[in-house]
Amino acid sequence: MNAMIEMQGVSKRYSRGNETLTVLDSLDFQVDAGDFVALMGPSGSGKSTILNIAGGLDRPDSGRVSVAGSDLGAMSSSALAPWRSMHIGFVFQSFNLMPVLTALENVMLPLLLTPLRSSERKKQAEFALDVVGLSDRMTHRPKQLSGGQEQRVAIARAIATDPDLILADEPTGDLDRESATSVMELLQRLNKEMGKTLVVVTHDPMVGELAQRTAHLDKGLLVDVTGEGP
Amino acid sequence: MRSSRVLVRKHLLQHWVRSGLTVAAITLAMFLLCSVISIVTTLDRAVNSEATQRLVVQSAVSLFVNLPLGYQEKIVAVPGVEDVTVFQWFGGYFKEDEQPFAQFAVDHENFLHMYAKDMRVAEGPRGVTGDSALEAVQAAMNADRRAAIIGPDLARENNWKVGDTVPIIAKIFTKQDRSAWEFDIVGIYEPLKSNFDPRQMFFRFDYLRETLEAEGMVDDMGTGVYMVNLEATADPGLVSQAIDGLFENGPQRTKTATEAVFQSFFIAMLGNVPAFMGAIGGAIVFAVLFSVVNTMLMAGRQRRGEAGILKALGFSNACVARLLLYESLVLCLTGGALGIGIAALFEEPVRWAVGGALPGYTVEPSTLLLAVGVTLVVGVVAGIGPALGLGRLQPADALRSEA
Repeated sequence: MNAMIEMQGVSKRYSRGNETLTVLDSLDFQVDAGDFVALMGPSGSGKSTILNIAGGLDRPDSGRVSVAGSDLGAMSSSALAPWRSMHIGFVFQSFNLMPVLTALENVMLPLLLTPLRSSERKKQAEFALDVVGLSDRMTHRPKQLSGGQEQRVAIARAIATDPDLILADEPTGDLDRESATSVMELLQRLNKEMGKTLVVVTHDPMVGELAQRTAHLDKGLLVDVTGEGP
Repeated sequence: MRSSRVLVRKHLLQHWVRSGLTVAAITLAMFLLCSVISIVTTLDRAVNSEATQRLVVQSAVSLFVNLPLGYQEKIVAVPGVEDVTVFQWFGGYFKEDEQPFAQFAVDHENFLHMYAKDMRVAEGPRGVTGDSALEAVQAAMNADRRAAIIGPDLARENNWKVGDTVPIIAKIFTKQDRSAWEFDIVGIYEPLKSNFDPRQMFFRFDYLRETLEAEGMVDDMGTGVYMVNLEATADPGLVSQAIDGLFENGPQRTKTATEAVFQSFFIAMLGNVPAFMGAIGGAIVFAVLFSVVNTMLMAGRQRRGEAGILKALGFSNACVARLLLYESLVLCLTGGALGIGIAALFEEPVRWAVGGALPGYTVEPSTLLLAVGVTLVVGVVAGIGPALGLGRLQPADALRSEA
């Protein structure tokens, strides 16, 4: 199985006043293509930092990171932006939809960076919304949707460009149990039926149960990995 | 970029009150800027377009000290002088003092010919128009002591027609019984130069002099200034020196200058108008710049989280920065276009409102272009700082600010 994410000796520190906080400490971590991995651990253990580094939103202080066959350390910020649009789909805890845009326009947003024509962009966005079961909410603004629906729009936006890897940062954190279950079932379906590699940061044991593997972090160290890969 | 239009439009409409107020501020500022620049260019044009082949002879002491009438004969005799007319400010008003207009007592026999390059007689008695109007008005002025010729705007404002007798209340030359002076309108002129005031009235100097003398109000009537037309080949400098030389030993020393120089002196009496207007214009530009900078700084702060989302989706730093810069430019160009448009559209009403105080008020195309340039500069300067800030923001930091 090909590795989708390969991290070797990755460290990340943040300075806060005179204090230096080590968030990741020489971490070795791998996710195979088609895998569904849950990252769990207490707050501040480095889960979201792994996600940010894997998605090219942040850079490690040391170590090597390879995602979807690209060495991220060798890429400039301007090269990382188009790379992200091609390979990564992000899903955030607070949905992060553009409040001024409709559901359809939000999903079309990453497609604006592709060479697709306007009609093709619209068609693809409509397809993505159909996949997440929101064909009837295309013209709604985020504030007109429930939390679960907003997160499903965010998932549709994440898959609109057909990326290899979906990185979800506490996707069920702001949702009630029913919506959370619905969202996780959707993500699981994307992994199983569409072959998307899925890395989910979560505190929710239910998510951990759905994942093929669960990686436990504490104080920047990988302390335990349970389950088997695809 | 394709996405820019939609996002910029939606952002501006999302905060429509703030956007609207900023656009209104820019609109007002650009209108005022165009107006202020137009005042300066109009004054400048007035000075530059005055005849250099016409001299103004005034008292060396002050414009308010009269020159003896006996000077006219001596000035006419100076080599290079073609013609001379007295030019006496009357300073009256019709009905309301709030609508002032200029009245001048002139030598009726030569005034119309001396000013043939400044104005054209458009209408004379009994509806005469065209080429014969000049002769008809000249004949009427020769025949009627109370004859007067007026400008088209003055006629329109007061609904005066040729043949009307109009009462003018004097503030300087008040009659003993305090009655109004009556003038018979015998003609209407059309200005041939943009700075020749279309709200003036010219009448016979001898009517003024003889009336005042008959009432025993003046012992020795004089004139405020003499207007001197020069021959085409005459050197204005030399003729000016010759005229002033004639009266070096009094009884009134004279100061002679071309009409252009006289006009610039006259404007200078108001103070350093260009510098004053420049200061106002500068203050307007800075005030609106601060207003737009404030708006864009607020917008920049509000967009931090959104910048993170866009960067996570694959938008480049430059693209995210451009969005805010476009927003600033759209605000400024919308307000600028409105302000500049209003300045151009309201040229005629403003010209009417300022009337004789600033004849020929014109908003030059160069002024409009300058205002467009200022608008662009304000848009770029106000937007560039917050835009670069968003562009430089690390995606992870930006997303944390959203959380």
